[in-house]
Amino acid sequence: MAKDGEKGDWKEFLWNPRTREFLGRTASSWGLILLFYLVFYIFLAGLFALTMYVMLQTLDDHKPTWQDRLATPGMVIRPKANEALEIVYNITETESWDMYAQALDKFLSPYNDSVQAEKNHECIPNQHFMQEDSGDVKNNPKRSCQFNRTVLDECSGINDRYYGYHDGKPCIIIKLNRVIGLMPEMDGRAPYVTCGPKKEDTDKIGELAYFPPNGTFNLMYYPYYGKKAQVNYSQPLVAIKFLNITANQDVNIECKINANNIPRGSERDKFAGRVSFKLRINTRK
Amino acid sequence: FISKALHYTNPKVLQRQGNNKTNKYLIRDGPNALTPPPTTPEWVKFCRQLFGGFSILLWTGAILCFLAYAIQAATEDDPAGDNLYLGIVLTAVVVITGCFSYFQEAKSSKIMESFKNMVPQQALVIREGEKVQINAEEVVAGDLIEVKGGDRIPADIRVVSAHGCKVDNSSLTGESEPQSRSPDCTHDNPLETRNVAFFSTNCVEGTARGLVICTGDRTVMGRIATLTSGLETGKTPIAKEIEHFIHIITGVAVFLGVTFFILAIILGYTWLEAVIFLIGIIVANVPEGLLATVTVCLTLTAKRMAKKNCLVKNLEAVETLGSTSTICSDKTGTLTQNRMTVAHMWFDNQIHEADTTEDQSGASFDKSSVTWQGLSRIAALCNRAQFKAGQDSVTILKRDVAGDASESALLKCIELCCGSVRAMRDKNKKVAEIPFNSTNKYQLSVHETEDPNDNRYLLVMKGAPERILDRCSTILLQGKEQPMDEEMKEAFQNAYMELGGLGERVLGFCHVLLPEDQYPKGFAFDTDDVNFQTDNLCFVGLMSMIDPPRAAVPDAVGKCRSAGIKVIMVTGDHPITAKAIAKGVGIISEGNETVEDIAARLNIPVSQVNPRDAKACVIHGTDLKDLSQDQMDDILRNHTEIVFARTSPQQKLIIVEGCQRLGAIVAVTGDGVNDSPALKKADIGVAMGISGSDVSKQAADMILLDDNFASIVTGVEEGRLIFDNLKKSIAYTLTSNIPEITPFLFFIIVNIPLPLGTITILCIDLGTDMVPAISLAYEAAESDIMKRQPRNPFRDKLVNERLISIAYGQIGMIQALGGFFAYFVILAENGFLPSRLVGIRLEWDDRSTNDLEDTYGQQWTYEQRKIVEFTCHTAFFVSIVVVQWADVIICKTRRNSVFQQGMKNKILIFGLFEETALAAFLSYCPGMDVALRMFPLKPSWWFCAFPYSFLIFVYDEVRKLILRRNPGGWVERETYY
Repeated sequence: MAKDGEKGDWKEFLWNPRTREFLGRTASSWGLILLFYLVFYIFLAGLFALTMYVMLQTLDDHKPTWQDRLATPGMVIRPKANEALEIVYNITETESWDMYAQALDKFLSPYNDSVQAEKNHECIPNQHFMQEDSGDVKNNPKRSCQFNRTVLDECSGINDRYYGYHDGKPCIIIKLNRVIGLMPEMDGRAPYVTCGPKKEDTDKIGELAYFPPNGTFNLMYYPYYGKKAQVNYSQPLVAIKFLNITANQDVNIECKINANNIPRGSERDKFAGRVSFKLRINTRK
Repeated sequence: FISKALHYTNPKVLQRQGNNKTNKYLIRDGPNALTPPPTTPEWVKFCRQLFGGFSILLWTGAILCFLAYAIQAATEDDPAGDNLYLGIVLTAVVVITGCFSYFQEAKSSKIMESFKNMVPQQALVIREGEKVQINAEEVVAGDLIEVKGGDRIPADIRVVSAHGCKVDNSSLTGESEPQSRSPDCTHDNPLETRNVAFFSTNCVEGTARGLVICTGDRTVMGRIATLTSGLETGKTPIAKEIEHFIHIITGVAVFLGVTFFILAIILGYTWLEAVIFLIGIIVANVPEGLLATVTVCLTLTAKRMAKKNCLVKNLEAVETLGSTSTICSDKTGTLTQNRMTVAHMWFDNQIHEADTTEDQSGASFDKSSVTWQGLSRIAALCNRAQFKAGQDSVTILKRDVAGDASESALLKCIELCCGSVRAMRDKNKKVAEIPFNSTNKYQLSVHETEDPNDNRYLLVMKGAPERILDRCSTILLQGKEQPMDEEMKEAFQNAYMELGGLGERVLGFCHVLLPEDQYPKGFAFDTDDVNFQTDNLCFVGLMSMIDPPRAAVPDAVGKCRSAGIKVIMVTGDHPITAKAIAKGVGIISEGNETVEDIAARLNIPVSQVNPRDAKACVIHGTDLKDLSQDQMDDILRNHTEIVFARTSPQQKLIIVEGCQRLGAIVAVTGDGVNDSPALKKADIGVAMGISGSDVSKQAADMILLDDNFASIVTGVEEGRLIFDNLKKSIAYTLTSNIPEITPFLFFIIVNIPLPLGTITILCIDLGTDMVPAISLAYEAAESDIMKRQPRNPFRDKLVNERLISIAYGQIGMIQALGGFFAYFVILAENGFLPSRLVGIRLEWDDRSTNDLEDTYGQQWTYEQRKIVEFTCHTAFFVSIVVVQWADVIICKTRRNSVFQQGMKNKILIFGLFEETALAAFLSYCPGMDVALRMFPLKPSWWFCAFPYSFLIFVYDEVRKLILRRNPGGWVERETYY
């Protein structure tokens, strides 16, 4: 009995034919409340848009308000390793390293000398390429310096289109994250990348070759003026070639930037001013 | 069984029963004690706290969290711990709050236990012809026992011999007057007959021997106790409200969850991801802090009520009293002072009013009349009551008296008016005395006079007025003896009727100075074979007594009436007395008549009066017995002022059930064992702390420590206030649910970085929101809550759609915008403009992407952008605190403006500062970045939500302004919660 009553109540709540109520409200009641909410939400949306607009007006087009979280720029390697930052391949299996070579090809294509010559400016090396605005007169667009692929020499993929992966002497390319206005330097000279073994892998890493020589990021590539002002900015790169790395073993490597105006990043951030990865080259099947 | 025993007349056999037999009976019938009601084991009570009502919601949330985490753990390599932590926190919250309320109630029950009378009872038994003192538990049926004044009767006994034995049956029948016991069977009903004395009632005076007819649970008292423990009690109103609230919340949660589940599927998420989202959304709807808030609010009120002499046994009962729409009150002790007091006197052909107030603040009468001196002398001398020793420091009214109620009343009255009665008695030494008995209906004593030169004896007599009048030939008027003529007799009759009509017990007084020639000094008065003059006396006056109402009661009844609460008097007393007291305290208000009154006024038979004309009615217990259920409902529905007289315990239960059938929430007061079934059945049973029996206290939900009806009214006020304030508290707490859920929804739908994390949500619900939500329990009432009708349990819900509409649909949305604004400000100022954010989620949360580009072309490592994200969480959290400032201020009132209400709630102001300080601490304390992943905010980010906070305040003030200007209008119908 009680259950039937409940069922009836529920049905009547859904649609009450006597009072013409749907879910306990008549059509006009629904109309009014929905209209109210519509108007109310439009008003809120307008208000939100207004505050957002005002906020966006306070922003500079070329430089974010705060950069304190980017004091230590991040470092990234190419080819992009998997989530655990491992580059593992087998020399005897082409398909296990071919993808790295292809990734690097793709990554380096904008750096082709021809492209660079066409888009970018030839700068004076070893000095900052300053293009400041003079007061309110914006000095835009700003020019960018050429970074030619050939600078990477043996790791440029021009002479060796497999970047050394096929003979166990792989190239890794390192870049420093772009940060607007950052001018890293080491005692007035260019900052440079050094790589070394981590933990007990000291004797496994073998000899390294840096391109450009000494692994420097030339001063002329700094400062960066942002995507909008400096459309064709070419991010400088450093390539490292492992010349005789121990095969068939995990080798942990850490590269870091050497610059005395870049603070050491936090312990938690494994990619601020440094980058670690694992390299394992298998030679046996 | 009892009925048979009433007439059984051969005690001699049993009188000498041997120890063997008694042992056999003891084994057969068990000890002579009430089986204690099956006490719920402590762990069951604890579990009830853990799994009852609101906790279920949290438990469901916790289980869903663990389920989600299990799914994640099974499908992902590195599952986010959020769901696991949330599950653990939810569990912890339930367990801690459960423990808290368990200990809170354990504390009240400890106070309860202190009431228990732990002294083992003794009984004087005659076994094998010898009197032996044994433990009352060892008494068996057939024992012959002896009781004397002051004893508690150890079992139901049939009196076989008695000497002036009177018993106080008030704990059983509610009758306040002691009743005499004698061996004659006067009635077939064991409760009415004079030859049965009941277990656990008290023998006031005299001695009696009786045969035990029932022991333990088979006694009348035992059966009532069993009836009580067999009664099922319904859910408390607040439990029903919380259930309704859970329905609403669950409805909203499931609706949101399913909607976004479908949306997620459409957007191309996998089934498992969508299920995780579904669970996440449902759990996000659970207000984690509310359980604790509600418990603390109720506890605070319970404490406040305890201070006002209402001890609450069960936290939920706090609110029940507030929803009460009918109070069935006992008369004796609750409405009245439970002591007979002289109320009126008639002498010199005039009725004089005595002062019956507890503190003697009332008017007094002319005491100079010579007649009064005569009257007071009779009352003092012809009186066996006397004060117990060692009470000189106690005020006269509060002193204990040995003697029956009427004599004590006279004693106190005379002591108050004329000074020491003892001195008077010493001066007028008693020579002879005939105590009161039911055949004479008078009491007389003969005294020497005060004047040592006057050797006459003074004979004083008091008794039933008509009997006294019969013995008088003269009457004392203005100190002069005048012959009793017809005119005087008529005046006497009128006065007697008038006083009787007030429900008062009237006694007549007369005296005579015995002529010295017939009764010289040393005359031997023989009281058995009366050898002296007992008629042709001189009538002096009448004195009438009543158990007067407590001083605060009329006011309290008036408050109840204006609060829309029906007060019904239920008593075992006579209808006339009951009606008189009902009129005295305002239960029958001035100008309202019963059917009988109307009939008497119009001089027509009762049957011709339209019962609808009479608002008041007095119903006799025997009439009640014959009423059908419909008739009963009719009476309860159509009479606003009802008095039930001469009711039995079962009838009390019927009355309570009748009221409940009509949808009323019933409070019942009672002190006697006979009340306990009704106490248990009532929505809230109120037992008396001082006079109440243990059984009644067991059955009750609340105990009035001062036995005063007026305390109930303060309880009602507190209960109503907490209901209003719980609404406000819930509205406040629920509002922040929206800014807590929407970030997750937008995270799913538009793929932005998560604006608000689980940890920060918990910081709001269990941290910053806590004190302000509780502080609303301290909020003063907006209007006189005792001037409005009790809430209708079917219509006025704790949480209704309008509250949800306001909290979720309106204020919550504004809050969410405030939070999102802060979020967008931080990301934009760090380089991620809103246009860049949409759709960024996968890359953003990818650990291996360490060169994510922002709007300006800068590149971010995973950790760097996560710090910004967590800073956003912190800012969103701080923004919620900021908008909750405005929310708590608007939640202070539901109708009035804050400017009318004022900011007098100090706890709330403290709460505002506390939540702000807590937010600042969480943001700036070193180490929080690691512990809770909360980061310091730039000062300007604190102000992002200010415009929204201001908007909330203005919006709600405008809403309430319209609501007040336009009562019953659309705004009120849609938004007044």
